[in-house]
Amino acid sequence: MQNITGNLKQDQEALKKLIPAEDILDFSFTTDKGGEFVILFTDPITDKELLGHLVVIPLQSYDGEMKAEEIGKRLSFPELRMEKSLDKLAEEILAGNPVLLWEGMDQGLIVGTKKVFIRSIAEPPTDVTIKGPREGFIEDVKVNTSLVRRRFKTGALKVEYLKVGKISQTFVAICYLEGTSVKKVVEEVKEKLNKIDIDNVPDSSYLTHFLASRPKSLMKQVGTTEKPDIFCAKIAEGRVGIIVDGSPIALTVPYLIVEDFQSSEDYFVPPYRATFTRIIRLFALLVAIYLPSFYVAAQLFKLQLFPVKLLLTISGSIRDLPFSPSLEMLLVLIVLEILNEASIRMPKYVGMALSVVGALVLGETAVSAGFVSTPAIIIIAFSGIGLYAVPNLIEQTSVVRLVMLLIAGSIGTYGIILATGFILFYLVTTDTFGSPLVAPFSPVVGRDLRDSLVKYNLGALQTRPKTIGSKNKRRLRHE
Amino acid sequence: MNKISTRQLLFFLAAIAPVGKIILMPTNLVHYAKNDLLFPAAMNFLLQAGVIFLVLLLAKRNLSLHDLIANKLGSVAAKIILSIFSLFFFFAALLPLVEQKLFVQSVFYDTLPSIVAFSSFFIFSAYMCAKPLSSFGRTWDILAPLSIAAFAGILFLSVKSTDFGALAPAFGTGAKSVFEGFAYNMSWFLDSAILLSFLGKIDYKKGLPWKGLLCYLAGAAGVLFFLAIFYGVFQDTAVNQQFAFTKVARYFSGIETLGRIDYLFIFALALVMAFYAILPLQAGIDFLRQSFGSREKRFFPALLSVIVNAVMLGLTIFLDYQYITLNDAITVKVFWIFPVFCLLLPLLALLLLIRRRRETE
Amino acid sequence: MKQNKFIRFIKSIPTKIWVVLGAVVAIFFFLNDFDLVDIQKTAIILAAGIDRKEDGYTLTAQIAVPKGVDRTTGGTSSVNFIAEGETIADCVSDIYCKTGWVPKFVFCNLIVLGEDTVKENVFDALDFFLRNEYMSDGCYVAMSEGSAEDLLTSTSAIADTTSQAIAKLFSDANVNSGKTMKMSLREFAIGYHGVTKSGYMPFIRQHEQESSENGGGGGGQQQGGGSGQEEEKIYCAERTALFYEGRQVALLDPEETFAFSMLEGKLFNGYLLTEEKGKPVSLTVLDDKGSVSLDTKGAPKVTVKVDLTVRLYNRSIPAEMEDVARNEVTDELKENAKKYVEELTQRVFEKSRESGCDLFKLNQSLYRSSVKKYDEWKDTLLSVVPTTYEITIKTAK
Repeated sequence: MQNITGNLKQDQEALKKLIPAEDILDFSFTTDKGGEFVILFTDPITDKELLGHLVVIPLQSYDGEMKAEEIGKRLSFPELRMEKSLDKLAEEILAGNPVLLWEGMDQGLIVGTKKVFIRSIAEPPTDVTIKGPREGFIEDVKVNTSLVRRRFKTGALKVEYLKVGKISQTFVAICYLEGTSVKKVVEEVKEKLNKIDIDNVPDSSYLTHFLASRPKSLMKQVGTTEKPDIFCAKIAEGRVGIIVDGSPIALTVPYLIVEDFQSSEDYFVPPYRATFTRIIRLFALLVAIYLPSFYVAAQLFKLQLFPVKLLLTISGSIRDLPFSPSLEMLLVLIVLEILNEASIRMPKYVGMALSVVGALVLGETAVSAGFVSTPAIIIIAFSGIGLYAVPNLIEQTSVVRLVMLLIAGSIGTYGIILATGFILFYLVTTDTFGSPLVAPFSPVVGRDLRDSLVKYNLGALQTRPKTIGSKNKRRLRHE
Repeated sequence: MNKISTRQLLFFLAAIAPVGKIILMPTNLVHYAKNDLLFPAAMNFLLQAGVIFLVLLLAKRNLSLHDLIANKLGSVAAKIILSIFSLFFFFAALLPLVEQKLFVQSVFYDTLPSIVAFSSFFIFSAYMCAKPLSSFGRTWDILAPLSIAAFAGILFLSVKSTDFGALAPAFGTGAKSVFEGFAYNMSWFLDSAILLSFLGKIDYKKGLPWKGLLCYLAGAAGVLFFLAIFYGVFQDTAVNQQFAFTKVARYFSGIETLGRIDYLFIFALALVMAFYAILPLQAGIDFLRQSFGSREKRFFPALLSVIVNAVMLGLTIFLDYQYITLNDAITVKVFWIFPVFCLLLPLLALLLLIRRRRETE
Repeated sequence: MKQNKFIRFIKSIPTKIWVVLGAVVAIFFFLNDFDLVDIQKTAIILAAGIDRKEDGYTLTAQIAVPKGVDRTTGGTSSVNFIAEGETIADCVSDIYCKTGWVPKFVFCNLIVLGEDTVKENVFDALDFFLRNEYMSDGCYVAMSEGSAEDLLTSTSAIADTTSQAIAKLFSDANVNSGKTMKMSLREFAIGYHGVTKSGYMPFIRQHEQESSENGGGGGGQQQGGGSGQEEEKIYCAERTALFYEGRQVALLDPEETFAFSMLEGKLFNGYLLTEEKGKPVSLTVLDDKGSVSLDTKGAPKVTVKVDLTVRLYNRSIPAEMEDVARNEVTDELKENAKKYVEELTQRVFEKSRESGCDLFKLNQSLYRSSVKKYDEWKDTLLSVVPTTYEITIKTAK
């Protein structure tokens, strides 16, 4: 490991050799007394104005001793660090923190004048609420941790930084409440993150693969959120949070599937309303998954599932269609998925035109042309809308819906039952960081049921969820 | 997830174990005992409850059946006994599996489907049987409330069409009929034997035997009430009503306007039944794993599960149109096998326990 | 090294199995042709009519045909297919053969038995339906005047299909009025297979809707006579056919059907027609506690009880407003009503006794209370049991 020698020219050359990029610049200046300084910095991500005002100008008129302490006092700057190692100094320069060198000094002075272009804090598009905070995380880890820090004005909040990614050296902040979060989980998270051997971490979703106990699983095993209030609420329950630089989506572990049926708004509205909406979400999800498959299975295998008048209506609608009921439903489902995908990816300017085409394709025209039937359109529409009632589970449920449809079209209603059994077994036997995925339903944790699909009023939620395993059980004292 | 908790076991006894007795057993009971069907059923339930209580006492030792026998009689004896038990389970599983097949074919399809439709059950079974028994505790947490809700729904929809007076006169058919009903329906009461396979996997807590007894009796009460409703709805035509629980609720007046809403409950119970029907196979495979498996042979249970289920699938296809012959053979001709394995042998196991206590004293 | 390879191979087997299973499911999904009978290949039978021929049966299947998807023209129409065969199953296979459709009885809500069919034990015809696992035995059974084929192939004046029109007759409102007694296949089979061996079913008659088209005129059916336009019919089920051992043995007229309904305790908001001072008066029945109970202490005795709560509904004479407001039921009216009800109930009971149809399940009551007594009395109970009538008419205030 090479260190700073004190020979200014030598050190300057050594550093430039380490990071020979065209945007790594060096600026030399001398004091009135003839002392020589060199600043090495990365051009696009250094605040040169700040550097000039707070470092260069004060030093140009410096006539004191060329010692680190004296120079540090001269610079009216809060973020100053000394470092000997050339590698670490190079890292700091690449991170946007200029390094100040001068003759005779065997350490480099790191000045924190990083300038990063970040977007402003806004409401996240993936989690919209009517009542409650509207802040969302952004791509900068420091800003995100500041949003967390703002909500926990306590020394118990620990934020530990790791770097993950050989090339990207992405900052990852592990946030937890000492004394509340489960120590074992914290250690396990750190261990898993430290073990990651990857070049680049562009987003937090990369880390979920390494944190999950079953990486190949279709089911989520790590919670996600874009909202600081939800993030903090989860940490307050005893979870551990992970914020990744460059990603607005924060992770929380352990993850319980019931989290995705809860919304932050549930805690800001009366409990009966919250209970109702949670049940509606579950119902919507079940409709989204099962309605197309049961419709197909009923037509092919068990007509009795329809009341006779509905059956005759459907029978009239599907007369002379070229496709079998299963193929018809699959076709409409694929078209829906294509429209879905296109609507996310398309440029704003063509959005309107494509929406009209989409509506026409799936609407009256397709029915009039005799490609598909009206009931199929209605069913897929219900299913599509129902899926978005639980937006955090869209990826999983759209695949499950497709699988159910394939099973319904080949094996029938009994196939749907068995597939449900499979999924049920799979879910109940999955644990994440020691907590069962389907808790508090399986295993049944009585107290935790008060904030699951039903929501009791705040006075009834005096203890932290037992499933998470926090030793600090009580969170509210209320008569 | 390593052990079955007390609550999960109680859920199993109260809500999962009864579901296997509402498919074809009611018609079989009516065939022998007619309106006295409650008595043979109650006798079987009471006997089972007693043995279950005693088996749960054994659970206190926190040893598997293999270890219990090996400690007393040696490892070879344990292997032999458990192998015989496994064979019994595979034999006993045949009737419930054929029953499931017939039930699925009748209820889930309007016209007789290809055997392909039920083959998927064996894929499900092969997967599940390869998993350790203890992981099923969590499924019971979900299935038990589902079972109770669905069962209650069916009873609620049926009760208005029931003429409870049809159960009279009590003992009108005579003691012989009641006894035949009792003896020739024992093949449906495997719960005490299945419980032996749970030994060593139960997180034993004080009071479990009594709680288990009460829960099993509660489940039994539900089944008896169902049997009463079944006979009250169908009376003298009950003997023709296979898959009893799928038929009792369809006379509810709301069915005309709403359609067959009872299918919601039927499907829920079918899900529970799928998990219950595989238990004898699972128990048999688990006994073989205890006897011949080891840490090194990690794939042994999976391999065994595939082989056993393949054989069962073959037998089910072979016996596709032979249900009546199979029913007669198992429930009548060799009915004595069931009290031996489900009543006598569990009691003998308890005797071993008592002797060991004397030795330690 | 070899061991590692082997272990890796074993570990990859589950994934391979899932891939193969997925492929199999996909193949079945797209092939979709393994003895499947989907909705388009199905003949949905709404009603079945059975007529007995010399050498078998005629099955009239009313098959639903959706009219269209437009709400203004949508609805259900039907096609009647007439099949013949030596057994009902034979007739069903005739439908397969001639239409190519697979007939499904899952939605069959009505079985109509022609007059010829009921002359012998109807359970030879109903056997098919009782054995059919895919058929609901909650469907209605009824007897038709004339042939079932004529009934089902007629055009209804009030509904799209005959079966729909007949189903309306069995609505709760109609049954509660006492005008119709409905019966399901299950209940009919229970009666036949039980100790009573008896049962009943509504007797359906059809008559033309009286309109100006055919020149009006009361009574008598006029046939369409080749004009090309079918006459529209309306149906009524005011009479009830009684059965014993599967054969029809008697027919209750409309008044007797009303009385039967009273005795079953089914009456609610029905109208009791009686008279006062020689003029007809309608009373509405608000509560009906009717029963036929068998007392088995000692020799069996039957008590026929009717306890009605009535309100004056319509006097056919002009009345003062005061009278209309008070709605008073006079003692004479009550007495006349009581006599009338007693007369009706006696008629019903005697008809039941004479025909041998154990309409009120006396044998069943006896069997349930004592098997010994049942064995003693089963052959003679209905014919010799003494009967007392207790009729009470109360007025609603």
